[in-house]
Amino acid sequence: MGAPALAEAIARIEARYGTRVMAHGDVVESRDAERRISAGTSLDQVTGGGIRAGEPLAFVGPATAGKLALALTVAAAALREGGMAAWIDPSASFDPLAALRAGVDLERLVVVRAADAGEVLLAGAAVLRSEGFRLLVVDLGPSFASRCSSDDLAPLVPFVRGSPAALLIVAEQRGRRLVLPTVRVEPIAWRRRYGRTVGWSFAAGAPASRERALFCVTALDAAPTDLGMRTQLAEVAPPGVMELTPSGVMEQAS
Amino acid sequence: MNAAVVVRNASDQLHARSLATLRALLPHVGIHAPGVYICDLAGTERVLGAPSRIARRIVERLSRVNAPAAVAVAQTPFAARVAAERTADGDVRLVTQAREYLAPLPLEVLPIEPKLAGELGLLGMRSVADFAALPRGAVFDRVGRGAARAHALARAEDEERVRADPPPRRIRARRLWDDALPSREQLVFALRTILDELSAALASEGLAALRIAVRLERDETEPLRLERAILPPTRESAALLRSVRWALEERAHLGRIVGCLIVVVEVEPARGRQIGLFAADGARWEEAIASARYLRERLGPGRVLRTRIADADARLPERAAEWKEVIS
Repeated sequence: MGAPALAEAIARIEARYGTRVMAHGDVVESRDAERRISAGTSLDQVTGGGIRAGEPLAFVGPATAGKLALALTVAAAALREGGMAAWIDPSASFDPLAALRAGVDLERLVVVRAADAGEVLLAGAAVLRSEGFRLLVVDLGPSFASRCSSDDLAPLVPFVRGSPAALLIVAEQRGRRLVLPTVRVEPIAWRRRYGRTVGWSFAAGAPASRERALFCVTALDAAPTDLGMRTQLAEVAPPGVMELTPSGVMEQAS
Repeated sequence: MNAAVVVRNASDQLHARSLATLRALLPHVGIHAPGVYICDLAGTERVLGAPSRIARRIVERLSRVNAPAAVAVAQTPFAARVAAERTADGDVRLVTQAREYLAPLPLEVLPIEPKLAGELGLLGMRSVADFAALPRGAVFDRVGRGAARAHALARAEDEERVRADPPPRRIRARRLWDDALPSREQLVFALRTILDELSAALASEGLAALRIAVRLERDETEPLRLERAILPPTRESAALLRSVRWALEERAHLGRIVGCLIVVVEVEPARGRQIGLFAADGARWEEAIASARYLRERLGPGRVLRTRIADADARLPERAAEWKEVIS
């Protein structure tokens, strides 16, 4: 391959995936750690060591499963290491108090209330093209109030490839046409005390894997408590207390 | 030796013209005031000739640009300036003994406060020579540092060197390509080397680009001109390239590009965070806020926000937090 052809090829790759996408191997290795957002919980094991800058990830699950609580945990982790994060909130459902309790530094968070899919794309592209952000969260909100679907976010994917930020999409349903690395968040059981619901537990993991990270949330502490990995818990749980569903999710036996 | 040049009644244009002419002629040109310039002639004798010859050349050059000037050459910048102010336009004065030249002049030529000048007058001092004759220690003890400096000037002992501002360097880079670049991707790739060059030039000057102008020469059509404001100002070639790339992507058709000229139109001194003295976090913060401001412009007010907790125990959720625009 001649030099002009090589230049043309590099130009096309960089145009599509950004100027950061290509680097020498040693540079890539040295930057790998600093480009990773590690929450320091079992979620890291599910996501392969943390969420990497320049990669998209989706938290998908039904309403009140806990995906938003997990996303806030990730945002808090990203902001702990410096930089800024952006939260695109088309359904205007962002709760500052919950974010604060999850450990998010609100001074370093920019919330964008986009009105439609076009504005979500505009804001997402601007954030991902900027050098200033470490994380972009797109919270599509509850499906009944959603103004944008996962499929609408397809144009953002090329931008995130070359961005110093990670893209985290929080949605109730997976996209039909857009395939992204996904962490499925599923509720396991409600926690009740004295006849009142005081919290719930949920599992997070890749759909194709049986491994799950388990968390519980109580009304007293908005941040999810890390219970550990499914396999670790199965080893220590007494027989009959914890059972596995056919989908691999652990349920508390009634 | 120092040469003082006085161009009387210098308007802004005349000042700019005179300054450009002097900078083209001499290496160290300081500006005392608009129309009053002090030139350090140290080291110029071997190249440009004796100071008197240089002075005549200054008068001649300035007269060519319609800037009639009086020039004086003296050992100290102060004596040279005082002499030039007392020289007719188009004339040259050579002061060999600065202290003797200053001696008969009135005290008003010295930079001393009117109150002190009045007190010295009451003490019977009328001329520079009277003031210069006072012992240095006594002047410093009785009237302080300001008068001590004036005393040194009166004795032609001032060691102050000409503070010469280097002429503003035009930072620009240009490329012409034999084969036209048909695609945006190729153009962006080619622009990288130009912006690397500009980045290196900015780094050597300690500057950050605030505004750049891009002129793209096109085959068989008019040149395309773009102007970009760089916020936050930077010298990083990646950030400059990103800005130019955004501008190019806003155009549906660029045409066949055969050349490019990029000029840094406006600069500011690079701050610590822009030259990597501090953690990258500060630069990230600035860039994030700049992006947020851009979004606010595009989306309108009330859409790009930051929040803070006003009252975590508020009974109504809407009172728990306050939202504010990302403006600063």
